[in-house]
Amino acid sequence: MAIIEQEPSIAALPSGAARTAAKPLGAFSRPRNPVGLKNWLTTVDHKKIGIMYGTASLFFLLWGGIPALLLRLQLARPNQGLLSGAAYNQIFTMHGTVMIFLVVMPMGAAFANYLLPLQVGARDVAFPRINAFSFWVFLAGGIMLNTSWFLGGGANGGWFNYAPNNGITYNPGVGIDFWNVGLLIAGIGSLTGAVNLITTVLNMRAPGMSWMRMPIFTWMTLVTQFLLLFAIPVLTVAQLLLLFDRRFDGNFFNVDQGSDPLLWQHLFWIFGHPEVYLMILPAFGIVSEVIPVFARKPIFGYPFMVFSGIAIGFMGWGVWAHHMFVSGIGPLSVTAFAVATMFIAVPTGVKVLNWLATLWGGKLILNTAMLFSIGLVTQFTLGGLSGVSHAVASADTQQTDTYYIVAHFHYVLFGGALFGFYSGLYFWFPKAFGYKLNEKIGKWNFWSMVVGFNLTFGPMHILGLQGMPRRMQTYDASQGFNTWNMVATIGSFILGVATLSILYNALVSYRAWRRAGRPDVGPDPWDARSLEWSIQSPTPEHNFDVSPTVTDLDDFWHHKYQEDDNGVLRRIATGKEVAQPGNGEGVHLPAPSYWPLVLALSFPLIGYGLIFSLWLCIPGVVLLITALYGWSLEPADDLDDDHGHGDHHERELVGANG
Amino acid sequence: MAETTATEDLDHEGAAAAEFADQLNDTPSDFVHHEEHYTSLGLSNMKLAMWLFLGSEVLLFGALISTYLLSKTRFITELVAGNPYVIEGISNGENGALVNEMIAEASVEPLFDIPFTSLSSFILLMSSLSMVLAHKSVTEGNYKNLRIWLSTTMLLGATFMAGQVYEFTTFYREGLTYDGSLLGTAFYTLTGFHGAHVTGGLIMLGSLIYLSFKNKMQMDRAETVELVGLYWHFVDIVWVLIFTIVYLIP
Amino acid sequence: MSTTTPQAVVDDHAPSHADDHEHHPTVITYWLTFVALVILTAVEVLWSYLPLDGVALVVPLLVMMVVKFAIVGGVFMHLQTDFKILNGYWFTLAFGIAIALAVAVYITVYATFKFQI
Repeated sequence: MAIIEQEPSIAALPSGAARTAAKPLGAFSRPRNPVGLKNWLTTVDHKKIGIMYGTASLFFLLWGGIPALLLRLQLARPNQGLLSGAAYNQIFTMHGTVMIFLVVMPMGAAFANYLLPLQVGARDVAFPRINAFSFWVFLAGGIMLNTSWFLGGGANGGWFNYAPNNGITYNPGVGIDFWNVGLLIAGIGSLTGAVNLITTVLNMRAPGMSWMRMPIFTWMTLVTQFLLLFAIPVLTVAQLLLLFDRRFDGNFFNVDQGSDPLLWQHLFWIFGHPEVYLMILPAFGIVSEVIPVFARKPIFGYPFMVFSGIAIGFMGWGVWAHHMFVSGIGPLSVTAFAVATMFIAVPTGVKVLNWLATLWGGKLILNTAMLFSIGLVTQFTLGGLSGVSHAVASADTQQTDTYYIVAHFHYVLFGGALFGFYSGLYFWFPKAFGYKLNEKIGKWNFWSMVVGFNLTFGPMHILGLQGMPRRMQTYDASQGFNTWNMVATIGSFILGVATLSILYNALVSYRAWRRAGRPDVGPDPWDARSLEWSIQSPTPEHNFDVSPTVTDLDDFWHHKYQEDDNGVLRRIATGKEVAQPGNGEGVHLPAPSYWPLVLALSFPLIGYGLIFSLWLCIPGVVLLITALYGWSLEPADDLDDDHGHGDHHERELVGANG
Repeated sequence: MAETTATEDLDHEGAAAAEFADQLNDTPSDFVHHEEHYTSLGLSNMKLAMWLFLGSEVLLFGALISTYLLSKTRFITELVAGNPYVIEGISNGENGALVNEMIAEASVEPLFDIPFTSLSSFILLMSSLSMVLAHKSVTEGNYKNLRIWLSTTMLLGATFMAGQVYEFTTFYREGLTYDGSLLGTAFYTLTGFHGAHVTGGLIMLGSLIYLSFKNKMQMDRAETVELVGLYWHFVDIVWVLIFTIVYLIP
Repeated sequence: MSTTTPQAVVDDHAPSHADDHEHHPTVITYWLTFVALVILTAVEVLWSYLPLDGVALVVPLLVMMVVKFAIVGGVFMHLQTDFKILNGYWFTLAFGIAIALAVAVYITVYATFKFQI
């Protein structure tokens, strides 16, 4: 959302004029060169915000993983009483909600934040303060959602929370309200983030970075952010209707008053299907960056990769009712949505084929990042194939609400999205932190994840086809589900340990790096292709010393390799030689600010107010308004800062907007 | 109801309301022409972001309008079919005449006062005119006219809101409560959301007027006026949709 | 605006958005637009009082609504004039995609309810 700032005029300022530092409402002074925690709380640097997104996401991965293991323990053997039905409902709901909204989405946002400005050659995003706000409000919403465990129990309606089960009549506890309000708040962060990142890609590209020279990751993130921009408001409306129903006795989903609760399913899935694509597309972008680097070949069919991504973005809006084949929608709707669902497999298939064609004939370097990417290609394809089988509406009627569905979406979201993100973590880790992750532990990490993952979710295909319903607390020994459930439980614990081993890897690698005297990993440790590798590692605070001028797709690569007279591709320089030295003199950066954090904190206050007592909304709203005006009173950019600004070109002033 | 939507709407409105608030900025305004800095498309970041935000609002109001239409259809069907809960909910046990009329016509039209709402629509359209004239004035450096037109816009917007409050009160007295019936819930939510957006716009206009009287809203800030204008016109076209779809089409 | 600023740094490959405002409609255009909108609204209201029903009533009302929408968007929100500046189509595009999606998606939802297809 646009926060209008005046762009400070460098050229028009009388030289040396000290502009009065605005003291917003006297509440805060501008944080100056903050260190430690304060630095992180007030930062508007897209790289730090990206790292915070990633950290929060990994924390929630752990937080949402524990419930998953509890579920598997409960289901390990028939007729177990480890979890009561009520607890089981809350645990699977919170597992799904946390994993989708607080792990996969922010992990995509983490990569987008860190990499997008670097890949398009910008100093920061278009609105740095809004960027910080997006993160804090996401975190506030996520934490608020999870405080429900301590304030009356988690939500228990499944992650899609169907009406009328989510109504006050059937669900009088506060769990659903926390789900509702927490996600509303997190949604604000997604929306402002989307506006910000789209503006960045459209408007902050380096000179010469034309559309068809943008890296695939940038393209996929752009599509993702457009999906967010248009899908989040639909969820917002659905949740507001539910909120009004629950808190102010509305009748939107009140069947007594003649309403049709199917409306919730429509609204939810109109959001929900673009949602599944916006979870997977960033991972697609990541592997499209990793595979060419380690296959030592340019991406095969670049324009097809771009346009298939755009096609997925559009078609993702036309398939929502395939989640609703058993809800009683008419035969024509079922047919139309079934056909659309089959068609959306086409652009996805184009992507898979292009990855394979990139691998084909390449000099493959099978390091951990590459292995995770190949893992995505393989496992996502398996998940995609079971997904297409849902497009056969008659078969889907059998599969709905069985473990077959659970198997499918874990193959695409865990085997797909999360493997892609792990690939990205291993790939870009040296860029962000200055040292590589250990390859040996990395390979253990990968292979144990593959084994654990397939042991956990592979058997669920069989269980589902045998008829085991999902969201059931237990089953009977006579039903024949025993063996595969035990296998899945064993697999899930392998998977749990494997997933966490990346943290162990980071620790071990850091210690080894420190012992070795913190050697410089160099700007380009992988001999890579895109612009983020043309600057030092870890990324200097100012990103680029000078805005790069781009003349090609994979411009950085072409600075390192050129054809000789015989048409043979030869290395003419190392990455180190052509990289920018990291001299930030004369670069002016947007100043840190408290206000994004303060503004974000007002939302959970209002949220708790809506759940417990409207009186609590009053301080929330007061804080909100104060923060909005405080934010506005504070110039986005602090020209009194120590950064010299006498000599720089106006183009180098970035993110002056907010 | 209006109160609750306003609170809710701060989610959407809040950041938009910040938009102009920052104009209270202490930056000296003595350099009238400021630098436009490099952007890839040559468009202003702010304006692009505003249009993207409005695009997202389209989906928001689209969902609310379709929710209203579906709810209205279901309401009338159930009312005509004689669902006792629905009849009780709408008549509140008092106003039988209105309910009978609705059943007879199988429509919610008897509820509405079209001439009154037409006047409201006219007022909102007029405020859109004064808003563009305000923008025109600021681009031409005519600050006196800027103040006049901004104040006119705010006055007209406030009048519209007053009409909205009057209409809500009337409907409430006629038995259309928020929690009584599906129609009430859907109608008050949709129009309340629009009203909350108008209120947000009024706050923005208020800030602009304050700044223009402080001589801080000058030619170099013309884009700010334009952005508030974009928001204001958007709220106006949402009313164009609501007026036709909710009020005129039975 | 910055074209009048002596210090303006002109970048060869950076089109400036400074001249946004130079193409904006005149005051007279704004007034005429307003008059057109008022007339359309009046016709709409009168039309709704005519003894018509079904398509004959609804379709002209919807057409007039769309025309009003387009006029406000095109003239008051400057989409028409912005379209002519370099890359100015992005405003229309961002808004247009949203409208197209909203219309397609919500009409489909309405149809599945209304006709139970």
